Amino acid sequence: MTEVRLVDIEKRYGSFLALPKQSLTIEAGEFLVLLGPSGCGKTTTMRMIAGLEDITSGDVLIDNDRVNDKPPKDRDIAMVFQNYGLYPHMTVAQNIGYPLKLRGISKAECTARVLEIAEKVELEELLKRRPSELSGGQRQRVALARAIIRTPKIFLMDEPLSNLDAKLRVTMRAELKHLHHELGVTTIYVTHDQMEAMTLATRIAVMREGRIVQLDTPKKIYSEPVDLFVAGFIGSPSMNLIKGEVENGFFVAKGVKIPVQFSDRCDVVLGVRPEDLEIVERQRATIMAPVYALELTGDATLVTIKDGATSICVRGPADFEANIDEVCHIAPRKPEKLHLFDKSTGERLNS
Amino acid sequence: MKKHIFWTIERALLLLVSLIVLFPIFWMFLTSLKRPRDAYSISLNFKPTLDNFAMVFAEPWNLGSMVLNSAIVAGVTVLISVPCASLAAYSFSRFRVKGRKILFFMVLSTQFIPAVVIVLPFFLMFRSLGLLDTRIALIIVNLAIVTPFVIWMIKGFIDAIPVDSEEAAMIDGASRLRVIRDIVLPMAAPGILTSSIFCFILTWNEFLFSLILTRRDAVTLPVGLVSFRTERGDLWELMSAAGVMITVPIFIMAMIIQKHFTRGMTAGAIK
Amino acid sequence: MQDRFLSYALLVPAFVIVVATTIYPLAYSFITSFREWDLTRQRTPDDFVGLQNYAHAVAETGFQNSLWVTVIFVVASVVLTLVLAMSLALLLRRRGPLHTFTRIILILPFAMSPALIGVSYRFMFNPEFGVLAVGLGSIFPGLKGTPWLADPDLAMAVLVVTDVWHWTPYMTFMCLGGLASIPRETEEAARIDGASGFRVIWEIVLPQMKGVLLVTAILKTIFALKMFDQVVTLTGGGPGTSTETLAYFVFNVGFKWYDMGYASALAWILTLIMMVISAWYVRMLLSDKNTATA
Repeated sequence: MTEVRLVDIEKRYGSFLALPKQSLTIEAGEFLVLLGPSGCGKTTTMRMIAGLEDITSGDVLIDNDRVNDKPPKDRDIAMVFQNYGLYPHMTVAQNIGYPLKLRGISKAECTARVLEIAEKVELEELLKRRPSELSGGQRQRVALARAIIRTPKIFLMDEPLSNLDAKLRVTMRAELKHLHHELGVTTIYVTHDQMEAMTLATRIAVMREGRIVQLDTPKKIYSEPVDLFVAGFIGSPSMNLIKGEVENGFFVAKGVKIPVQFSDRCDVVLGVRPEDLEIVERQRATIMAPVYALELTGDATLVTIKDGATSICVRGPADFEANIDEVCHIAPRKPEKLHLFDKSTGERLNS
Repeated sequence: MKKHIFWTIERALLLLVSLIVLFPIFWMFLTSLKRPRDAYSISLNFKPTLDNFAMVFAEPWNLGSMVLNSAIVAGVTVLISVPCASLAAYSFSRFRVKGRKILFFMVLSTQFIPAVVIVLPFFLMFRSLGLLDTRIALIIVNLAIVTPFVIWMIKGFIDAIPVDSEEAAMIDGASRLRVIRDIVLPMAAPGILTSSIFCFILTWNEFLFSLILTRRDAVTLPVGLVSFRTERGDLWELMSAAGVMITVPIFIMAMIIQKHFTRGMTAGAIK
Repeated sequence: MQDRFLSYALLVPAFVIVVATTIYPLAYSFITSFREWDLTRQRTPDDFVGLQNYAHAVAETGFQNSLWVTVIFVVASVVLTLVLAMSLALLLRRRGPLHTFTRIILILPFAMSPALIGVSYRFMFNPEFGVLAVGLGSIFPGLKGTPWLADPDLAMAVLVVTDVWHWTPYMTFMCLGGLASIPRETEEAARIDGASGFRVIWEIVLPQMKGVLLVTAILKTIFALKMFDQVVTLTGGGPGTSTETLAYFVFNVGFKWYDMGYASALAWILTLIMMVISAWYVRMLLSDKNTATA
């Protein structure tokens, strides 16, 4: 199992600084997800590890070997591209077997290994077809098969599921997770989908504008986001972020008065997830506002209440009913699930 | 009702256009089948004959040797320029070569130089080297004309191939040259074929250089046309037969690539 | 990385060809343009005479005439070709068997040798037995017996016709490409807003085609300036010098009168004119496109 280290890595395009100097260690055997909005530098980082992108300064070390000047073919990595990167003029079998062919493996052994892998990803029937004759999901599996046929040191995946429809994405997530468990290869995975990150990663590196903002396990990122950006990015439906102030041990905003353990301060943002709020009787309510919208998800009802600038979403029971503009009463379930952030810097204030 | 009128006008216009496009070609083919005296009338009622074709290939016209010259010059020009251009096109397309824009601009702009300005030096150079009236001389000058154009065309085709497949191959373990051989060339094959045929057509139809640099041995078909002007007057029926010989191979080739034609002509010319 | 070396190495064969076959002769003719060299009198060039050849050109009527002829030809051929090409493109936009057929045969005029086109039209416009001359004469009695190629203006007209016939297909395809990149929705929205078919084209489609039309016009201008073959086979520069374009004039000076120095200077004047226009063309190209394709 392989460890990858990026030491003081920096990337510039001309005068544009894409990745400011920073370091990152990917531990042996882990599934690290680089998560962030488009343009945050996650793909650039991965391509530098792959050798598809020059490194402006700093070092990339694979198992303590400096690989900056090594071409991709000598780094013993495998990659699954967002658009699959299949060879359109070759059959599925030839596509999957190409890495072996390049290494001079005999035709007979090639065919055997291709068949073995094809069965694993359920492609045995399609070996003679061309990529243009396959569906998106099938093409994706060909790309995957081509990547795993070699058992490389590192797997790199660049948003491999983003071109699949929602249902297929869910199925493939489970497949990828199982594959990682089975093969144990160090995997670096790029995505903008926080759900994929949460379900697949052993650790997530949340990135923004070239910088890694938080590097932690999914659990920690979810329950202890380090700033406003991470808090709002992870979780669906996203965390409620309410602007207000702390006065005399209470967080106050329009329609909101919740007891908090914090000193007086203005320009504060309170973060609390919809599932950490509950609908209560009038006496216990610390948040009160008219209902703005109701969304049934089947297993719950998402109630959005709104009063002026304050807009809050709460995850209520599936059988909950109310009229629009009817006042709703809400309270947090547990005080530990309340997060306070500084409004201007976005940094976390409480722990 | 209005739509119906519109359609009829549209169809009529299309037929008119087709007529305008095909008529001169049709007339030439027709004339090539006429006996000398029929050529000087415009009646469609005549007895067709293949004598003209037999005559142009015999003495003193010897179209056969001209066909050979044209074929060799065009063929060799394609064989030399297309591989060289493909490599350069790949480099321009895929690498961020320093000064790439300037180099490409330079290549592009040589296309826009009038032939007359280089025919003079070539004439003088070949004269002193004793290369006048040779096929080699024609090949050299034709390389000047077609190479930039072919680089331009093939680059357009390579640009359209997604880089993903090349990067995947590099990760799978292929060196850059291997990638070009295994991945890029097969995918660019239709584009390269189209460009080769374009190149062949340009060279086959080339007139100015052939006119000036050849006299007897290396004369190509378009220049051969002019030799049908005699003191007696122009031998139109023979000229037409020669014209047919010039155009038929080209038309066949053009039809082969017609699907890619739009792509080829506009490759790199517009967005 | 090793890629850097390879990126230059791949360029070498093509550049050897381009430099040897174009750059070197260009330089040679540039130098010759500053020398006195009458090939009928001496085998090797004389001394340098500075800008004498160029000065001679400016003063000489032959050159002035050829410049004027060239301007008329270029303007007429570019305008006509562009209008026809754009109209044809609009016509051929849709699908249909007739459309596809027309699009396919449209390649043929472009594939035909311009020299042959000149010969062919010369035949067809012969006042006695030329099918077009006789045909037009029977439809319009006023045109009967007109000496098409013996009249200076008519000869120029026929020359323009050959060029338009040869180049319109190419330009049509360029316009078709441009039309394809205009989003359908802009036309559909206009139709829903109530615009008639003609207005949609005039006010919605054509404005969006400005870039393509400009590029097409510049390209056609370059090709028109280069035009040579048809002058030899259709008119021989005549009658008199009425169709003697600058390119043809250079040819005469160099290979009829064998005045190499003067011919080189004239050729370079033409080249400079073309360089200016092509610089404009390349700038248009590179400004529209992103570096990804440039």
